[in-house]
Amino acid sequence: MISKFKEIYLYREMIASLVRKDLRGRYKGSVLGFFWTFLNPLMQLLVYSLVFSIIVRVEVEKYYLFLFVALIPWIFFSSALTSGSGVILNQKDMVKKIYFPREVLPIAHALTNFINMLFSFIVVFIVILISGVGINFIALLYLPLIMLIEFTLVLGITFLTSSITVYMRDLEHIMTILNMLWMYLTPILYSITMIPEVYLPYIQLNPMTAVIVAYRDILYYAQVPHIQTLLSAVIMAVVVLVVGYLVFTKIQRYFAEEL
Amino acid sequence: MNAIIVENLHKKFKVFYDKGQTFKEKLLFRNRNYYENRWVLQGISFDVLKGEAVGLIGENGSGKSTMLKLLTRIIYPEQGKIVMNGRVSSLIELGAGFHPDMSGRENIYTNASIFGLSRKEIDARIAEVIEFSELGEFIDTPVRTYSSGMYMRLAFSVAINVDADILLIDEILAVGDASFQAKCFNKLREIKRKGTTVVIVSHALGQIEQFCDRAIWIDHGVIVAQGTPREVIPQYLNFMGKKYDKTPEPAKSNDGELRVGNRDIEIVEVRMLNDGKESYNFMAGSRVEIEISYKVNKISEGSIFGIGIFRNDGVHCYGTNTFIDAISTDELAKQGKVRFVVEQFNLLPSEYTLDVAIHTEDGFFFDAIDKVKKFSVYSNIGDIGVTRLDHLWHFESDK
Repeated sequence: MISKFKEIYLYREMIASLVRKDLRGRYKGSVLGFFWTFLNPLMQLLVYSLVFSIIVRVEVEKYYLFLFVALIPWIFFSSALTSGSGVILNQKDMVKKIYFPREVLPIAHALTNFINMLFSFIVVFIVILISGVGINFIALLYLPLIMLIEFTLVLGITFLTSSITVYMRDLEHIMTILNMLWMYLTPILYSITMIPEVYLPYIQLNPMTAVIVAYRDILYYAQVPHIQTLLSAVIMAVVVLVVGYLVFTKIQRYFAEEL
Repeated sequence: MNAIIVENLHKKFKVFYDKGQTFKEKLLFRNRNYYENRWVLQGISFDVLKGEAVGLIGENGSGKSTMLKLLTRIIYPEQGKIVMNGRVSSLIELGAGFHPDMSGRENIYTNASIFGLSRKEIDARIAEVIEFSELGEFIDTPVRTYSSGMYMRLAFSVAINVDADILLIDEILAVGDASFQAKCFNKLREIKRKGTTVVIVSHALGQIEQFCDRAIWIDHGVIVAQGTPREVIPQYLNFMGKKYDKTPEPAKSNDGELRVGNRDIEIVEVRMLNDGKESYNFMAGSRVEIEISYKVNKISEGSIFGIGIFRNDGVHCYGTNTFIDAISTDELAKQGKVRFVVEQFNLLPSEYTLDVAIHTEDGFFFDAIDKVKKFSVYSNIGDIGVTRLDHLWHFESDK
């Protein structure tokens, strides 16, 4: 186990170069290029806030901000479900022919999307400033922590989806549906207080619930998140990562033969 | 110290009759998931010392490439274990992760990082890699503009400059032109001298003989023989030769194209003998006889027996006949054998074909067969060319 971590550390340059290649290659050839990193979430924000503050009319003050601080972390999470499930499959040729610790691929994928989220946060802060909600700097200290927790969760899910997809190609498509379902089962478009009490325990079993609540506490309500919220976020993220990693290491031995 | 320890390795592959890949197929056609287990390796054990060069030889499908893949850790064994001490690099898949739009220099970084090199380590090697690749100013242009030769040169340069402790090679040196191949081979020797352990899988027995300290012959997933290449390769060739002899020879099919003549004097059989035994693989420098059995169907005057030897690339290596050598054939028995004896058969390693003919002085053929036999020559001396010249080296001082 320890030697595995050492090995992954040895391959850090490979992770870095995969991330670099992905970030640079993603918008290659498009006119707006890297600007899409900002434009994409802004467009989503526009659509959702139009629907939910003008048509559906959710009774939330400054709904666009309420939504935006949750939407950006969600986009990061959903990358683990959608594109994350294909990371091993897409690198088929490499996996079949040369050795490197396979963990490198999901790690690089999670990192790429994490960095993308960081870039999006520039826009988040601009929107916060414009909204006039203000920033609580003590609460802000918790932001890196919750980001780290979410990263742990995303990595764990990516380990799971990417490895299982090798054996069950349908998972990639199933994930698109699951992604949509999961989004509506997470308090992103609505507040956790709107959920009927009977369903609350189930919603809280969703590891993303605590994460989103914490983000929203810090950035929208400008308050320090509850210790309970943080604790349940940490525990669930670590459990998911451990399970994901164990599944991954168990079945990665036969990747080359399955691909 | 052992660099590689392989213990009782077993590997099987599942061969599916009709494999369902998707969930639906797996669920609906569960009975389609029938498969057969094919055991490719059945108990292989060997050790490789640090700094040793080992060649794995065997027919196609013998399991030697699977063995190399297991050493690379792309696939894992069902049973047994492999211990590798040190950093492993492989010359198996050259140019892994190359991005066509990125420059040669950028691709060096990507490619080297896949071998587990850190940025610092790559920085330290990059000048050497570029120099070895002979790409010069092209190093900063996108890889998609490269010719395939340039591409392979760059890929090889990266892989060879990783400074691995263990280097795994599959079918070396199909890289670039002859001069670059020679350069690669020299580089490999240099790497070996520095103490790198090397494992090669190759069909080029000559290369294994020249480069390896030990050869391991694998057949049907078990080790048949191992030892110095000098010991093992002849055994292997002998085995292959016997298999090869079972396949029909072109001469036996009387398809006219290869055989001409009126058969007044007929060639009944042609055999090659190596140290008294019929064989078509021999060591350069050993005693070789070509035995032509003939039958006189109609008494004819002035028959000449001749032979010709061609290398597989068409070079006419040698040809002579009884007329050139002023051998009289006036008292030819009605039926008999003619033996062409070479005490030291000095053609160098390659594959050859043999032509034999019986004809008159003015070129009228009684019977002539092209490519009646194929044979190959091996050697444990590294000299090159067509034939070995008998030679000595003398050193004299001018004083």
